[in-house]
Amino acid sequence: MSSNPLAPYQCLVVDDFQGMRSMLRDMLRDCGAKNIEMSSSGKEAIALLAENKFDIVLCDYNLGSGKNGQQVLEEAKLRHLIGPACTWIMITAEKSSDWIMGAVEYQPDAYLIKPITTELLLNRLERIAAKKQAFAEIDQAIVNKQFLRAIALCDSKLKTDTANAAELQRIKGQLLLNAGDLDAARKQFEQVLTLRELAWARTGLGRVCYEQGDYTAARDHLLQVVQTQRTYLEAYDWLARAQQALGDNEAAEAVLADALKLSPNSPQRQKNLGQLAMKRGDLTTADEAFRKSIQVGEHSILKTPDAYIGLAKVCSASGNGGEALKVLTAVQRQFDSDDVKLRAKSAEGLIYKQEHRLAQANTLAAEVDELLQASTELHDDAASIEAAELLLATGRKDSAVKLLQQVVRNNHENKGLIAQVQTVFDGAGMQQEGAVLVEGSRREAVDLMNRGVLLARDGKLVEALDAMRAAKIALPNNARVLLNFAYVAVLLLQRDGANRELIAESRQALLHANQLSPGEKRFAQLMEALALLAG
Amino acid sequence: MTEATPQADITLFLASSVHDMKNSLGLLGGMVEKLVAELPPHSGADRADYAHMLYELKRINDNLMHLLTVYKLGNALYPFDPVPTLIADLYADLAVQNRVLFSTRQLALQIDVSADLTGYFDVDLIAGVIGHALVNAANYTRDTVRLSARELGGALELRVEDNGRGYPPAMLLDSRAGLTGVDFFSGSTGLGLYFAHEVARLHRNREHIGSLRLENGGTFGGGCFVLTLP
Repeated sequence: MSSNPLAPYQCLVVDDFQGMRSMLRDMLRDCGAKNIEMSSSGKEAIALLAENKFDIVLCDYNLGSGKNGQQVLEEAKLRHLIGPACTWIMITAEKSSDWIMGAVEYQPDAYLIKPITTELLLNRLERIAAKKQAFAEIDQAIVNKQFLRAIALCDSKLKTDTANAAELQRIKGQLLLNAGDLDAARKQFEQVLTLRELAWARTGLGRVCYEQGDYTAARDHLLQVVQTQRTYLEAYDWLARAQQALGDNEAAEAVLADALKLSPNSPQRQKNLGQLAMKRGDLTTADEAFRKSIQVGEHSILKTPDAYIGLAKVCSASGNGGEALKVLTAVQRQFDSDDVKLRAKSAEGLIYKQEHRLAQANTLAAEVDELLQASTELHDDAASIEAAELLLATGRKDSAVKLLQQVVRNNHENKGLIAQVQTVFDGAGMQQEGAVLVEGSRREAVDLMNRGVLLARDGKLVEALDAMRAAKIALPNNARVLLNFAYVAVLLLQRDGANRELIAESRQALLHANQLSPGEKRFAQLMEALALLAG
Repeated sequence: MTEATPQADITLFLASSVHDMKNSLGLLGGMVEKLVAELPPHSGADRADYAHMLYELKRINDNLMHLLTVYKLGNALYPFDPVPTLIADLYADLAVQNRVLFSTRQLALQIDVSADLTGYFDVDLIAGVIGHALVNAANYTRDTVRLSARELGGALELRVEDNGRGYPPAMLLDSRAGLTGVDFFSGSTGLGLYFAHEVARLHRNREHIGSLRLENGGTFGGGCFVLTLP
């Protein structure tokens, strides 16, 4: 170890307290660091992170008003301002529940509890560097979404690296879930559990059961985690899902409320509670949860427009149309996106419609229609469904039907979403006509895809690829179509040799499919095949 | 009948004041360590004073942390988080944290643990317990303290041993009973031992529960602080 081990690194210190800032800077200097940036707030830190590449970030958890350290880290990771090579150390006065929210992807490399000394800091930095080096290949494979490769790397490392064995086991379990290999994941978790009762392994087992449709077993595993390790929050979210799948919304609501008592700072979980309560007609809880989601999300990149739309609906349902409209104005200020604009305007129009202010409802419907005509992008499913609701309610049937057909075509295997579309038709008194339209769109998607699949089966791969590409253009958000396109492309590439353009097109289709429907086994397999072809 | 004046709930201020005090202690400790570093060699008396200051600072810091954690444990607010940890790393951190204390007192710290021995525990809690035992041992030992660990019948045994005169019989008895009251004569509040017991009991693997015992003897024939985690 040289006397200036940190000399080559770009460092960032984030602390709202001047004394601590200088102390941390001096510590880094004592270790030889030359390039040290400082910031006194989360906002400033994000600006610096966006402009520079940092190797080491020392960030205080508590940054006064504005973003806290966790929110800075989340934003940096989600916006790809830092990569897996960056070392992030969170400095805190005491241990907090927010640390173990379960979302591993947003965790720092280490937490240091004050008081901190130079030696301790250097010690920790060296240890993290060694660990990053040990996991570098695996991390890179994960960033590239090469799940099968990452699993193979874990297996080979597990043979020799006893010091990191526990961490490797955990990562491998997570990867098997991501790769959709549920049988292997089950075996992995069960094997770990024979030696020791561990929350992540039991939760993993619960998830396997959930994905396999055994919701009772899923619930029982997850209940066990919640009872034995109260602060392992990831288990609460999956438990609530299992209970919902079992039709017990009341229990699901109670579970989420318990998790939020432990750690109220998740905008997503607060929003989920709000939606559940809303579904049960529990307007008081829904109101509170949506407001809380908006409040804790104020400075967070994880804030969600769903909370605002939900709150507007609650207000409107409680006869408070005035506030609902205010919330809908606020959401458009907070989120600059066409989908949010569409949803806000649709919700506003529906409120007018409900209050029998028909002229205003019509004006909004016209605006929504105009937005739809003007945009070439496909809208997200929630926005499409909500817009269609208003359009149907104001007699703009053609636009509405077009939107809903699009939703069905792009999700032809998603029973829940299709049922939701049917409910919208039902609400407009179009039960039978709607059912025919839904089935027509579903068939259309199946036919489009089968054309390519049948051609491929007959070995006509070039024609099959053309057919799948046509299907992909017609159904750009259909995960099944995207996976099948990549499948045919891989067959063709294997037969005719590598072709860089087609490899790139297929990879893009796969990544999009993974976004739409994570955890598909074929995604992992096809990514691996593509990687082999790319050489 | 007199009406009670509304009194603020002290627990509301507990966490925030402890943070504040810990920040102050951190800065203070940093300053003292800096002063020690600047001392000319062989400045015996000054060195001893600083060592005493550091020792007291560590005790205040440990006590504050224990108080806050006991409060949180009692209210089920503590985010208990057992993770796989290399014992060698845990001991290395403790050695660094206490290096100045040991060097100013001219005590030897031996660490005996295999490089890949791993345990499942809440690092912060266990570091708090072993750290406190280490500071205590530094106070009562003659010239050497030993940190060791081994796997024993499927459990992990962490030992802090010294070559002092050992624990007084009353403490050994109390330790076996699992309860210690405030002892005004020795200046011990019992908080440290209570904390250690609670932390040990939190660690479970199925039907096995963690435990703590004090004994005399061990490698050096002095006091032994033995934490067993399942």
